[in-house]
Amino acid sequence: MSILSLQSVTKEYVGDGQPVRALDGVTLEVNAGEFVALVGRSGCGKSTLLNLAGAMDFPTSGAVLLDGVATSTLDDARLTVLRREKVGFIFQSFQLLHTLTVFENVELPLLLAGKSGARAAAENRLATVELTGLGDRLPHQLSGGQMQRVAIARALIHSPAVLLADEPTGNLDSTTSAVILQLLQRLTREKNTATIMATHSLEAAALADAVVRLRDGKVEEIIRR
Amino acid sequence: MPRFLLFYRLLVRPLLREPLRTALTVLAIALGVAVVLAIELAGGAATGSFRSSMETLAGDNDLEVVAAGGVPESVVGTLDQLPFPLRVVPRMEDYAVVTESKQTLPLIGLDLLAEGAAYTGPQALATLRGNKNDDPQKGLRDLADPLSVYVGASLKRKVGDPLPLLINDQLKTYTVRGVYPDGGGNESAIVMDLAAAQRALNRFARVDRVLIKLPGREQLPQWQARLRAALPAGLEVRPQGTGTTENRRMLQAFRWNLRLLSYISLVVGAFLIYNTISVSVVRRRGEIGIVRALGASRASVLAAFIGEAATFGFIGALLGLPFGRVMASGAVKLMAITVEALYVSSRPGSIALSLSSVVLAFAIGVGVSIISAYAPAREAAQVSPVEAMARGRREYDVRVHKGRDLLIAVLLAVAAEVASYAPPVAGKPLFGYLAAFLLIASSAFAIPAFVDGVSRISAGALQRTLGVEALLASRSLRASLRRTSVLVGALSTAIAMMTSVGIMVGSFRQTVLLWMGDQLPADLYLRPAGDPAADRHPTISPDLAAAIAHLPGVAAIDRLRAYEITYDGLPATLASSDLQILRAYKNSDFFSGRPTEQVLHDLRGANAVVVSEPFTYKHHVRIGDRLQLSLGETQASFRIVDIYYDYSSERGNIIMDRNTMLKYLPDETPSNLAVYVAPGASVDAVRAEIVQAAAGRRILIFSNRNLRGEAIRIFDRTFAITYALEAVAIVVAVMGVAGALLALVIDRRRELGLLRFLGSSKQQIRKLILVEAALLGLLANVAGVLLGFAMSLVLIFVINKQSFGWTIRFHWPVAISLGALTGVYLATVVAGLYPAQVAVRLNPLEVVHDE
Repeated sequence: MSILSLQSVTKEYVGDGQPVRALDGVTLEVNAGEFVALVGRSGCGKSTLLNLAGAMDFPTSGAVLLDGVATSTLDDARLTVLRREKVGFIFQSFQLLHTLTVFENVELPLLLAGKSGARAAAENRLATVELTGLGDRLPHQLSGGQMQRVAIARALIHSPAVLLADEPTGNLDSTTSAVILQLLQRLTREKNTATIMATHSLEAAALADAVVRLRDGKVEEIIRR
Repeated sequence: MPRFLLFYRLLVRPLLREPLRTALTVLAIALGVAVVLAIELAGGAATGSFRSSMETLAGDNDLEVVAAGGVPESVVGTLDQLPFPLRVVPRMEDYAVVTESKQTLPLIGLDLLAEGAAYTGPQALATLRGNKNDDPQKGLRDLADPLSVYVGASLKRKVGDPLPLLINDQLKTYTVRGVYPDGGGNESAIVMDLAAAQRALNRFARVDRVLIKLPGREQLPQWQARLRAALPAGLEVRPQGTGTTENRRMLQAFRWNLRLLSYISLVVGAFLIYNTISVSVVRRRGEIGIVRALGASRASVLAAFIGEAATFGFIGALLGLPFGRVMASGAVKLMAITVEALYVSSRPGSIALSLSSVVLAFAIGVGVSIISAYAPAREAAQVSPVEAMARGRREYDVRVHKGRDLLIAVLLAVAAEVASYAPPVAGKPLFGYLAAFLLIASSAFAIPAFVDGVSRISAGALQRTLGVEALLASRSLRASLRRTSVLVGALSTAIAMMTSVGIMVGSFRQTVLLWMGDQLPADLYLRPAGDPAADRHPTISPDLAAAIAHLPGVAAIDRLRAYEITYDGLPATLASSDLQILRAYKNSDFFSGRPTEQVLHDLRGANAVVVSEPFTYKHHVRIGDRLQLSLGETQASFRIVDIYYDYSSERGNIIMDRNTMLKYLPDETPSNLAVYVAPGASVDAVRAEIVQAAAGRRILIFSNRNLRGEAIRIFDRTFAITYALEAVAIVVAVMGVAGALLALVIDRRRELGLLRFLGSSKQQIRKLILVEAALLGLLANVAGVLLGFAMSLVLIFVINKQSFGWTIRFHWPVAISLGALTGVYLATVVAGLYPAQVAVRLNPLEVVHDE
C-alpha cells in the first residue's frame, strides 16, 4: 500500500470573489522510500499539492490518504496528531526560529508532541546531516546550507513517513544545492521515507525516482525511473 | 499636499488595517488625558475655586472681624459708632442637618430686619412691608419666631413647609418662611434671624463674624489698622474671604499630590506611545529604507513618525475631553469627601470645561505623544537605506544596550536617593517628586537587563514546568527585548504606583490604628449627630454633659471643646481637654519621649499647649517656642511644652488644659464627651443610661471599638480617589499589554504558522500567547513591586512628610497587596485572550507562504 495517496483531488480557492482551481483531479501514489519531484511553472499547484499531502489543508473534492487515513475525515486535533507523527516539512527559506538554538529548533517537533528524549534524537539527526558540534549555535551564526540541513534534521526528528520539501534548494548556491539534494536522496533511502519535493531545478528532478509534471493544476505526466 | 498623501499611505493606512490595536493605543492616551483632565477639573471645582461654605451669602464686603470663640456682640455697636460710613453685618455661622435628606447645609444667622430682603422672599417681604391682603404684623412676627427659617430654592421647599433640622444635638422642626434664589444650590443655606440662630446654637452675646463694607476699596491695610486700633486686642480684622484664601493655601498640597498621582496614568500612556511608535518603526524599517533610497530626507522620516504620534495624541485628546469631563463629576465627589474629612467644610464649585482645559488636554495628549515618540522616530531617521533594505528588522530588534542602560539605572537610582534628602521648596516636596520620577526612570533603564536575566535564568525551569510553549514564549520575549522592556516598564509603573500608594495608605492606616489605641482611652465617646468634618465642631448641651457625669456607672467625663482658629495665615483647630481626667487615663506618645504625666503637669492651668505634628511642619515651631493666640477679646502667649502625634486632621491642632481655655473663652459647652466607665460597671448598661439621659437630643454614642471603626471607615473613604486613580493607570497598562500582544502576534505570524507545520495544535498556540502574557505580567509584577517598594519609601518618608507632616510607620499590607497584584496579573493574562484567539485563527498556509 502506498504511504501517500491522492485520489482525484481537486482544490479550489476563492480569490477576489472568483473561484480559482489550484488542483484539478490529481491522482498520485507515493510509496515508502520513494523520492518524488514535483515540477512545473510557478502557480501550477506544486505548493498546494504539498499542503494537501501534509494534512495542512483539505481537498475540495477527492481524497488524500496519509498512511491509509483520509485527512478530510479528521478534526483539527487528530489532524495535528497525524501531522506530528507522519509528516516532516522542509521550506525554501529554511523557516528556523531565530530565537532558538540549533538543538532547540531540531527538538521542536518532538517537544510539541510532548515526547521525551528530544535532545538525544536531535544530536542523532544533526549527526545524520553532518552538523555535529553546531547544536548550541543560533541560526544567524550558520550558513544557508547549514540552515537548510538543520531544517532537514528538524523535519526528520520524529521519523516521519512522508517528507515534504518545498523548493529546498531555492535559496542556495549550486554547490550547496547539490549537497542538500544528495542528502535528501540518501536519507530517503536510509529512513525509508517518502520524499516529495517541489522544485524548479532540473538537477534536483534528475535525482528523483519519479518526476510529476504539473500544469494548470493537473498532472501532465509522471515519469518513473 | 503630496506629503499628506504620503503620510496617509505609508503611516495612516497601515494603522487603519489594525483597527483594534490602533484603537487600544488611542484609548490608552484618551484615558491618560482624561484622568489628568478630570483631576484638574475636579481639583478646580473642589479645591482650586474653593469657597468655604461659610462664604455662602456673605456678599461683597471688604473686611471681616473674627476671633476664636466668637466676636462679642458689642463690637457691632463699637463699629457702628465709629465716625466712618461703614456697613457692618454681624453673622452667626454654623451647620444644620436637614434630617430628611441628611444633607448638611451652612446655617447662617443674619440681621434679617436690616438686610433680609434678599432671603425672606417676596411673600415675606410683602408682609414685612405691609401688604394690604396680609396681616401687616405677620412678617415681623415670623422674624421674631425662633423657629422661622429661610431656605434656598434648590431645597425645593415652599413657604409654610415644616423643616426638621438638627442643629448641634437638638432636633427641632422649623418652618420655612421664605425661599430665595440660590444659584442652583451654590448659595444654598439655612438662613435664620441672628437672634434665632444664637438661640438655636446656644451661643449668646457673640457672633461668629462681622463683615464690613468700607466706603471705598482703597487703602485696605490702613482701614484694617484703623479698625484694629478701635477693637479689643484678641480680635482679628482681615480682608473678607481670608479664610477662603487660607483654606486654598492649605488645600494646595492636597491638590498637588492628586495632580501628580494623575500624571502616573500619563506616564504609563507615554510608555505605550513609545512602544507603538517603536513597533511602527521596526515594522517599517524596510519601507523606511526604500523611501530614503527614493529621496526622503531624514527630517521627513522624523516628521512622519512624530506626525504619527501626534495624530494618536490628537485623537486621544479629542476622546479624552468628554471622558475627562465625565470622570471629573465622579472625582469631584470623591475629592469633596477628602476635603471635608481632612481639611474643611466646602462646597465644590461647578466643573467648568474651559478653553484652558481644552488646551491642556491637547497639550498633554499631543505633547506627551510627541515626547514619547521622539526617540524611536529619531532612530527611524537615522536608518541607513542600504542597511534597512538588506537586513530587515530582525537584527534591529535585539539592539538594546543592556549594560549601558543598567549603568544609567544605577546612576538614576543614586540621584533619586540624593533627591530624597533635599528639603521642600516653598512647602512643596518638589525633590520628593523628582526622586519618584527618577526611580521610575531608573526602573525603565534597568528593565531590559532584568527581563533578559530573568528570561535567561528561568527558560529551562519554565520549559520543564509549562512545556515547550513556555520556552518559546520566554525566548520570544527576550528576542524582542526592547518591546518587552517597554511593556514591562509600562505595566510595572502602574503596578509600582498601586503598590507604593497601597503601602503608603496601608502604613498610614496601621499607624492610625495604633495611634487610636493610645488616643482613645475612654470607654464611650459622644458627639452631636450629623456628618463629621475637620472644621465642624457642633456642640453638646452642657446640661446633658452634667447629667451624664452624674450617672452612677460613670467614673469621669472629659469635656472636649474645639474651635476653629487661624494661626499664622492658616486654619487650625484649638482644642481643650480636662487634664485631670487625662492624667489618670491617657498614655500618649510625645516627641520629647517624656512620660505623659510630666507633659500634662506642664500644661495644667498654665499658658502652655501641646501641638500636633502637622502643626509643627506647617508653622516651623518647636518645643519651647511660644505661640501668640487670639482668644476672645484677648491675645495671649502660650509655650509649646511638647508635640504629639496626630492623624485626625491635616490642619494642625493646638491643645490646652480646659481650665486654661475657659479662662479666655468662658463657654462650658463641649464639642465631644469622652466617658470613662467606673470599674465594675457595664459599658452597655452605662450606654443605655446615656441614651435615656439624652432622650430628645441627637447625639451619637460610640464605643471605643465603634469609634475606631468609624474613624477607619472615614479614612478608607478619604483614600477612595487614590484607588480610582490607580485603577485607571492599571486599566491603561493592561490595555497596552493587550495592544502590544496583538502586535506581537501579527509580527510573529510566520513563526506561529510554522509551529502549526511542525505539529503544534491550536491549543498550544493559544497557550504560547497566554504564557507570554503571563510572563509579561509576572515580570511586570516583580519589577513593579520592587519599584513600588522604593517609591513607597519616598511617598511615606519624603512626600507625605514634606506635604502633610505626618510620621507614618512603614507597614506592608501584604494581603491587600497580594490580592491587588493577583488581580492585575489575571487581568494581564486575560488581556492575552484576544491576541491568543487571533493567533489561533491565523492560517498557517497564508502566513508561511506570505513570508
